[in-house]
Amino acid sequence: MLFVFGSLFAQQKVIKGTVSDSKDGSRLPGVRVTLKGTKKEAATDAKGQFSISYQEGESNALLFSYIGYKKEEVAINGQSNLEVKLKESNVSLNDVVVIGYGTAKKKELTGVSARIQAKEIATLPMLTATQAIQGKAAGVQIIAAGEPGGKPNVRIRGTGSILGGVDPLYVVDGILTDDITNINSSDIVSIDVLKDAAATAIYGVRASNGVIMITTKSGTKGKLSVNYDSYYGLKQLVNKVEMAGPGLFAKYSNEAAGTMAIKAEDITGSTDWMDEITRIGTIQSHSLSMNGGGEKNTYFVSLGYFKEEGILKGNDYQRISIRANNDVTISNKLKVGHTLSYAYNFGNNKPFSLFTDAYNAAPIYNAKNADGTYGSTTTSNVGNPLAKLEYTNDVSWGHRLQGTLWGEYKVWKNISFRTNFGMDGGFNYARNYAPVFLVDVNQRNDRSQLSLYRADNYRWVWDNYFNYTETFKGKHDINISVGHTAERQDGKWMRGSKKDIPAQEQYWDFSFGDPTSHVLQSGNQNIYGRRESYFARAIYTFAGKYNINATVRRDGASKFPVANRWGTFPSLGLGWFVHNEEFMSNQNLFNTLKLRASWGKIGNDNISPGQFVTQFGTGLSAAFGPNIATGAIPDQIIDPNLKWETTTQSNVGIEFSMFNGKVTGEIDAYMKETQGALYLVALPGVAGDRDNVYTTNAATISNKGLEISLGYNGTLKKDFNYTIRGNMSFNQNLVTDVGQGKALDYGSLDNGYTATRVINGQPIGAFWVYQTNGIFQSESEIDAHPHLVGTQPGDKKIVDTNGDGKIDNKDRIYVGSYQPKFFFGLNTAAYYKNFDLSMVIQGNAGNKVFNGKKTVRYGGNYNVEYDVAMERWTPTNPSTTNPRAYNGVPVPSDYFVESGTYIRLNTITLGYTLPEKLVKKWTIARFRTYLSAQNMYTWKKFSGFSPELPGAPYEAGIEKSIYPTSATYMLGVNVTF
Amino acid sequence: MYPFKQLTKISLILGLGSLVLISSCSKSFLDEPVRNQTPEDFFSNPDAPAQLVTAVYSQLYEWQQHSFSWIGITSIADDDADKGSDPGDSGTDKDQLDKFTFTSSSLSFTEIWESNFKGIARANQALYYLPQFNNISAGVKNRYIAEVKFLRAYYYWNLVRSFGGVPKVTKAIVTQEDIANANVRASAEEIYNFIRQDLTEAMAVLPASYGTDDQGRATSGACIGLLAKVALYQKDWASAKNYSEQLITSGRYALTSDFAGMFKEAGEFNSESIWEVNCKGTDPNKGISGYFVVQAPRGAGGLGWGFNTPSQRLVDAFEPGDIRKAATIITSGQVLWDGFQTNAAAPNKYYNYKCYVSKTMETFNGNDNETNKNLRVLRLGEMYLIHAEAANELGDTAAARKSLNEIRKRAGLAASNALAISDIRDAVYKERRVEMAMEHDRLFDLRRTGRAGAVLRAAGIPFVDNRHELYPIPQRQIDLSGGKLTQNPGY
Repeated sequence: MLFVFGSLFAQQKVIKGTVSDSKDGSRLPGVRVTLKGTKKEAATDAKGQFSISYQEGESNALLFSYIGYKKEEVAINGQSNLEVKLKESNVSLNDVVVIGYGTAKKKELTGVSARIQAKEIATLPMLTATQAIQGKAAGVQIIAAGEPGGKPNVRIRGTGSILGGVDPLYVVDGILTDDITNINSSDIVSIDVLKDAAATAIYGVRASNGVIMITTKSGTKGKLSVNYDSYYGLKQLVNKVEMAGPGLFAKYSNEAAGTMAIKAEDITGSTDWMDEITRIGTIQSHSLSMNGGGEKNTYFVSLGYFKEEGILKGNDYQRISIRANNDVTISNKLKVGHTLSYAYNFGNNKPFSLFTDAYNAAPIYNAKNADGTYGSTTTSNVGNPLAKLEYTNDVSWGHRLQGTLWGEYKVWKNISFRTNFGMDGGFNYARNYAPVFLVDVNQRNDRSQLSLYRADNYRWVWDNYFNYTETFKGKHDINISVGHTAERQDGKWMRGSKKDIPAQEQYWDFSFGDPTSHVLQSGNQNIYGRRESYFARAIYTFAGKYNINATVRRDGASKFPVANRWGTFPSLGLGWFVHNEEFMSNQNLFNTLKLRASWGKIGNDNISPGQFVTQFGTGLSAAFGPNIATGAIPDQIIDPNLKWETTTQSNVGIEFSMFNGKVTGEIDAYMKETQGALYLVALPGVAGDRDNVYTTNAATISNKGLEISLGYNGTLKKDFNYTIRGNMSFNQNLVTDVGQGKALDYGSLDNGYTATRVINGQPIGAFWVYQTNGIFQSESEIDAHPHLVGTQPGDKKIVDTNGDGKIDNKDRIYVGSYQPKFFFGLNTAAYYKNFDLSMVIQGNAGNKVFNGKKTVRYGGNYNVEYDVAMERWTPTNPSTTNPRAYNGVPVPSDYFVESGTYIRLNTITLGYTLPEKLVKKWTIARFRTYLSAQNMYTWKKFSGFSPELPGAPYEAGIEKSIYPTSATYMLGVNVTF
Repeated sequence: MYPFKQLTKISLILGLGSLVLISSCSKSFLDEPVRNQTPEDFFSNPDAPAQLVTAVYSQLYEWQQHSFSWIGITSIADDDADKGSDPGDSGTDKDQLDKFTFTSSSLSFTEIWESNFKGIARANQALYYLPQFNNISAGVKNRYIAEVKFLRAYYYWNLVRSFGGVPKVTKAIVTQEDIANANVRASAEEIYNFIRQDLTEAMAVLPASYGTDDQGRATSGACIGLLAKVALYQKDWASAKNYSEQLITSGRYALTSDFAGMFKEAGEFNSESIWEVNCKGTDPNKGISGYFVVQAPRGAGGLGWGFNTPSQRLVDAFEPGDIRKAATIITSGQVLWDGFQTNAAAPNKYYNYKCYVSKTMETFNGNDNETNKNLRVLRLGEMYLIHAEAANELGDTAAARKSLNEIRKRAGLAASNALAISDIRDAVYKERRVEMAMEHDRLFDLRRTGRAGAVLRAAGIPFVDNRHELYPIPQRQIDLSGGKLTQNPGY
């Protein structure tokens, strides 16, 4: 009877529950809960809770699906409350990936890209998110900057240009930029690094160096969720190079000079200069964000504060960032939204050359005397570094306003139109005050000088495009985008200086000072220009098995001559999802197996505008009588047909997952050839050109490589999960043709010599040095060999490689470059109950570094490394590897070229999430605290301060005035309310 | 069945939409004006002709033109000056110049070659554009053209003395083809004639002097003076005698009795001055980059790098009572004319006094890289010596002795008792040495008179005959010319 009643009047039931992450227990908002077999669905709220009502008998299970996690089906079984745990899926082919001008499911894409999730970067103590991805993505080499406020160098798949830009394009919510220091890492959802042509060609002439897409967080439906992330850390100089003390320094210098130039009475103290100018630094960040929303709109608001006090005394950087992102659904056809951010930065700057000064300065006097004056010595022409540091007053600050306004309109069925307007404006200032001071006769400033600088720049970009996605007959998936974009940027600067400004800070403006010393200059920032482009993309997938991905983009830029203004950049990608084939359905090895291949043409237009028109040299002044006259005259040979560089890239790869997603992997092999690379063709002196070179498209560069990424998720026992992800990248960079140009010499060592060369058959910036082979032990040995004038016993033997009997530039050889042959990253994470432990190890191999500090000696009694001094050649210690004491300018030789191989423990973090029961009392959804150490240990062969040397590609790897790496030890919390 | 109707509708929408997008932006959106001035705009600027000419003068102040490298090859290389500075400090290649161990790769030659050709290129550009202006009077235009010709002659004069025959570039170079055609060496004779042609043409147009606001510009006297010197180098004694006589008897110039004062700021553009590179020591400074600092006394309490130090041989060459010695040589430890105490323990015994800038008693605003120190290029004193030498070679020993003794009298010395032509010749050579000491003249002078080998070898410098009479063409320039430029013999 009851049974009949039960089926006649179908009972209305409600099932509730929470969905959380199986690993760390964090609640998952926005999970789609579907009643199996029906169209009923609900979503979890900010606390991961859902509630769905159903008719009894309507269905027997709930389906849970969420981006980045494996779908779960949970039987209802009459329960009214479910605790569902979702496992992260590393290969979730239904992932929606942000691609240029639209989105697509990962399963439709054959382009090669790497995704880094927000939580991997937000807790790292770095200013920019890109520094945080070091070691996490194959093919992406990050060369970290040590200074507060610094930007790292990013190289995706090798260095593709000599004179054009080599940094990738950053796309932040659709705004194209090259500087992301204004973005609070906690505001980022994900970073996608686009690597091959199929993925990047949609950006045409901007894409040659890869594209990094950054998406900032938007709101989620549900109750207000508040997040607070904070960390505080201490920084310490690591890898300090030990320098000689006073006695050893005096002995070495006197031996080098051949006289008792430094006597006992010259030694008035003992100073470790590196200790004098460095300190324990600090770093901290506090971010508060709120998000939430209702049916019609969602919002995300955040406030962040970042401060770093560098290890160099007095050097610090602060940033305040504010963001508000809103999405509004106006109707079921129209959605609009905006992102808006404001960042203010302020930095107290000190010159990095202080590290070189501290290296060179004589250790024989006190930094500060008992009476408070600065110490000095007459035996060395390096001034007192502490004085130089404390007399530097250099601050810079700026405001940056960045935002987009977008609208999406569903035109008809599956066609939507999107318009996206982005604005990016920066207002930057700097102030430098050089006070009157006197340390000694050589280190002094007799007249104070104030310099003020301001620069404004702006950029706007406007995208308009149609997206069309459709599935026909369940087998044919089509995703088409067609659109247009226009862009404009400009910038100006102004600088003034004036002398005899009073010493108190309140007087530091131009209403004081000597009017005859007032100099004012201004100009444009050479970034002005406009661009316009048309693009189209079509993705077609058949039966989930075969996929074609084609894009084409037509770009025009105002900075090129009219004849060369427009270019077309196509790409084609093919993919085969082997795991969906029938013949694969019986095997159990692969869960997913995808083969892919792509080819495309992309460009690089990162050169100064207007280089193709006759350039006037201006400001060429002369003095007639008591006055200055200025002159101007055409003084440059130019190429009237200048155009952008074109890169053709091909890629073949395989992507797979095995053992139920336990093992994942991606292997790609690529070949990139850049043609028409900008090159400086040397001009003979008779041309009388301003700098004896002219810029033209003359060179060809090739990058070939292999990327391997492997991952493993394991479970040891209940409650203990771990993941291991490793990536390895191999890249070979070569200049294959310099057209009619000759080798270019770069890498000035500031002592009259250069150390690098760009030439056929060598990587960009190959070190070009003399070869050494031991030490001359006696005069007779010297006479028996070709040698440089002035060689004495104890000097290095330089090899006459071409056997012509004399030592000159023809004997120099190529010994490698700063570009690594191989770099890798290893990311491991383990989760046990409420604890989590993660580590990132990263390193480089096969690159060389040039110890510039050792080579810059001017005969002025510079200090020397302890090891170098102790092990030097003397008649009683006839070393065969270390030269004698020497203060002259040494020629660049392989003695200074060292291996740049290093392995570093980038991060190690131990975190603990407080039990839920405990924090519920304080209305906290989640409370995690963690200890983390950055750069704690570096194993390196290089004898200098840091093997990470950001710089221009043609002269990278020379350690001159580098800000050394520091280790950071910190404590942080992540709280969700 | 494929949904053709749907597909057509979709394609139509996409297509129309795209068309709208494509035509939405105006065609001229990408026509952003270029911000470097282009020649078309330049012509309308009324100041343009003057600016072109100023740019040609501007090269004279460059580091590569008249500073360290020039000091190296004209002074350090000879027997009257040594490298200076600390023993271990090579100054990149100054030790090589001092000891004649230089090669075709030495830096200084490249700098001199490139810098002078830049000056010539600017001159050619100016000479191309100047005739086209019609917003200035013919008189001013012709004067500008003449000034530029003088400067072009001066740049070639530096090149031909250093390297011998060089490429003769007479028009502006614009295309790669122009460059290839230009890279062929003319003979020294051709260059000398080209120099004389420019100077002769300029001489007819330039004024004899300028008002204060134009001091430093080329005058007709400057042309004549340079012509006299060029003729001397060509052994054209008649011309040398005539030109130098023109200046001596012009009434415009006169020897100054205060020899030392001639090289101080107060002595700029004095009665003896024929042409100087005019420098300014107040904000904004315009000086010959580094000229003072490179040569100023070195070490504790010093003022500069201390290169180009007078040698003991030069010090010993002065006769007793010669006022020029005190004006030329700083002895470490002495107190200078403005009261500055030099350091007796400086690394070098002597320093160049003629380049000294007083920070206390002359215009000095803290910028010691670009000081007020004018470079004295031509002065009447040298004209007397040119006259003496030329007249002597022509057999007019009386005129020669007269000019020679004028100089000696000014120097506080008794008249020379040389009588025979060969004696007078030697006397004039000797007088040139001490009169023009440290004025970038000695090495070229020794070479042109064929004495370089003997004199330098006697001073311990390994001068090799049939090689060192000229400096080597920079190897890099030969490489860049694809081998079209030929190297000087012996290198």
